[in-house]
Amino acid sequence: MPLFRRTATRGRQQPAGAIARPWLDGASDLTPRERGLLAAVHGIVGDDGLRAGHLGRATYRRDASFLNADPVGVALPRTVEETAGVLRACRDHGVPFTPRAAGTGLAGGATPTGEEGVRPLVVSVARMDQLRELDVANRRAWVEPGLVNARLGRAAAAHGLRFAPDPASQIAATLGGNVATNAGGIHVLTYGVMSQHVLAVELMDANGDVHVLDGRSPELASLDIRGVSVGGEGTLGIVTGACLRLLPAPPAIGTMLAGFATLRDAAAMVGDLVTSDRLPDAVELMDARAVHLVEGYANAGYPVDAAAVLLLEFEGLPHGVEAGIDTAERLAHANGATSVTRAADADQRARIWKGRKAVAGAIAKQAPDFFLQDVVVPRSRLGDMLDEVVAISEREDLIILTVVHAGDGNLHPFILFDRREDGVLDRVFRAGHDIVMTALRLDGTVTGEHGVGIEKRDFLAHVFTADDLAVQQAVRSAVEPSGLANPDKVLPSTVGCQEARMVPEGAWV
Amino acid sequence: MTATMTEVATTDDIRDTILDARRDGTALEVRGGGSVLDRMPGDDGAVLSVAGLTGVVDHAAEDLTITVRTGTGIDELQEVLAASGQECPIEPTDAAGSTVGGRIATGLAGPRQLGAGRVRDWVLRVRFVTGAGQVAKAGGVTVKDVTGFDLCRLMTGSWGTLGVITEVTLKLRPLARHRAWYTTTEPRHDLDGVLFRPVSLITTADRTHVLLEGHPEDAAEQAELVGLEPAERPILPTAARAALDPARVPEFLAAIAGAGLRWAVQDGVGVCHLDGAVEGMVTARRAAEHLGGSVLILEPSLGLPAFGGSGPDPIATRVSEVLDPDDVLAPWRWSR
Repeated sequence: MPLFRRTATRGRQQPAGAIARPWLDGASDLTPRERGLLAAVHGIVGDDGLRAGHLGRATYRRDASFLNADPVGVALPRTVEETAGVLRACRDHGVPFTPRAAGTGLAGGATPTGEEGVRPLVVSVARMDQLRELDVANRRAWVEPGLVNARLGRAAAAHGLRFAPDPASQIAATLGGNVATNAGGIHVLTYGVMSQHVLAVELMDANGDVHVLDGRSPELASLDIRGVSVGGEGTLGIVTGACLRLLPAPPAIGTMLAGFATLRDAAAMVGDLVTSDRLPDAVELMDARAVHLVEGYANAGYPVDAAAVLLLEFEGLPHGVEAGIDTAERLAHANGATSVTRAADADQRARIWKGRKAVAGAIAKQAPDFFLQDVVVPRSRLGDMLDEVVAISEREDLIILTVVHAGDGNLHPFILFDRREDGVLDRVFRAGHDIVMTALRLDGTVTGEHGVGIEKRDFLAHVFTADDLAVQQAVRSAVEPSGLANPDKVLPSTVGCQEARMVPEGAWV
Repeated sequence: MTATMTEVATTDDIRDTILDARRDGTALEVRGGGSVLDRMPGDDGAVLSVAGLTGVVDHAAEDLTITVRTGTGIDELQEVLAASGQECPIEPTDAAGSTVGGRIATGLAGPRQLGAGRVRDWVLRVRFVTGAGQVAKAGGVTVKDVTGFDLCRLMTGSWGTLGVITEVTLKLRPLARHRAWYTTTEPRHDLDGVLFRPVSLITTADRTHVLLEGHPEDAAEQAELVGLEPAERPILPTAARAALDPARVPEFLAAIAGAGLRWAVQDGVGVCHLDGAVEGMVTARRAAEHLGGSVLILEPSLGLPAFGGSGPDPIATRVSEVLDPDDVLAPWRWSR
């Protein structure tokens, strides 16, 4: 049975009538400075590279989060040179810019917020989407920022290679966005998050100048600015290119699915696994609600009577993989597993992963709205954290289903709701806030892979001291002195006693 | 000039020493165990020794993390972890006197870099005192964390120019069940493409040394595949190390052929360990820099600058200026 009743799709009708300048689409609310900027940008990117009308702007108000704001317009450059021209126009007119690619971010990093009365220009790199060079011999790829993660994966697979960071959004998320957020995914437990796979970054500053932050050499007679640029969330400039490390595809893969009667049993199994003599390459946990939802949607063969399931994967040479799976099976039984299935072949493996990867799709089919959280706790606190999420869901009378990159202690609770219900948003954001604060209380942190954006910005005062944040601000200003690159993001505007809010001022839900 | 040595035991001592230096307009060289700095020429300023800041703060075996003070020896770290069947594969080329803080500050990785990754990949949190005297931290104790800018990467390999590292939290992993060195009968630069993720490949003029880890039967099959013989761990040259894009290593080796250098290349990594006379080193440095790399001189008797390259780019210079505004922390670093 559906969790929510569905009604007709909301939406706005396209305004009728002829449009003289298609990129302006009848926009009449522009200041002289904004008109000047848009004319200059139009001169660089042309009719099809600029959207400044109501409708054109509306689709770029937000990323995949709830937070939205009105940009002055949207520039869609096709080349590095055009991007440089657009940023110089911003500089000359004193207008900030918000970098963006696919807009799959979940923390409002691509939401065009700015200071009071100054609407930023969204600069989308989505049309710069080419794989510049696949260097098979040296196992690396030069990519444009708009190239979709999964497309690199497919190109690499044709040569027996793979790109390790695999966020769940990888069929839409771009590599430029992955660099900007220091993205993670399922197979980063042993291979490491994005930063470990970025060999070089081409970072464009607010003057349109490109800095090649080259880390192909393993030791630099200088500072590792590349390391800071990864995860900069667009506040340090725009990533206009990157060189990414590829890995050889593993000769053997072992996949296992185990069901448990309680969340605690599954969490205990995770603890035993990470302290065993071989770390799995992926350990995913899904709670009963998640299992029910995806099983009805993807028919992946999950045990629907379990309170939690674990998906495990070992990769590498065959004897090590076999030994790892044997150990995992023994540990699963020792922790009271109610079912254990080892994937017999590639088809069964694909079916097991299909369920995990279908979570967001299954939710979208069942619930009108969801709010996805991203917190991390030390692995030994996973059981406590899962219990707390259940308590929060009961307290706020909300449906929360949780999937966890369990090997990393990285939880993704999905809060399901229907925004037409009176007062529900207050409960949703209170639950989100409580989840973050609970993770902090358990010595965890506020974001593991989605980034800070604006959603988590004010929580940083709970993680860092005023001096910690002053150092971060100093580095940010040193790397990007103009202050025009994605203002208002990552660092709290006023350091200190401010109450953390999931919806900061200047953004709308 | 005679160096003065200030030994510190706490973060407050470090902050006070830095603030004094700011006030007096002097500069400091931060020293851990001395395993690198003692081998570098031109050390004539005041020295701030953090060798006394030692000890494990917290080993969270179940979380696969450990927090240690900066002066803790790599030997001690490895011993503590081995007792729990764990390791952090940050290791020196030559273990004597190496400290955890020194490894992070220099970013110089040991021979397992091919399989274990760079030093920066194992650093979760760094506590430090900036050249401005601010006591700060970056990162956190969880293994995944994108909260704020990634200053752990910035501090790693900053060679004591941005801040004095006081404590680090490291990511751990289980110790491999089996580890063994092998060798070939002739040099082979192609093994990274033949073997599956070998842990180390060190090629010299006459052979390639291979380190395999993991399941013993897998290692035996891999060794069989390319006809490897069991061998001892190779002894690497120590006078200098060139670092360059691994794709450019063949050009580098061609350029230094005939320069009278003994070399050992970490294949797939781009580090080349060198021994030899000053003329050869000058040739090597010119070749590496021409190929976009660098040479670090670790033998003072050669009389060459340790870095001697073009130094930091404009962004790096601005970052240095904000964290060390009065040039207190080894301002000579990149030019000596």
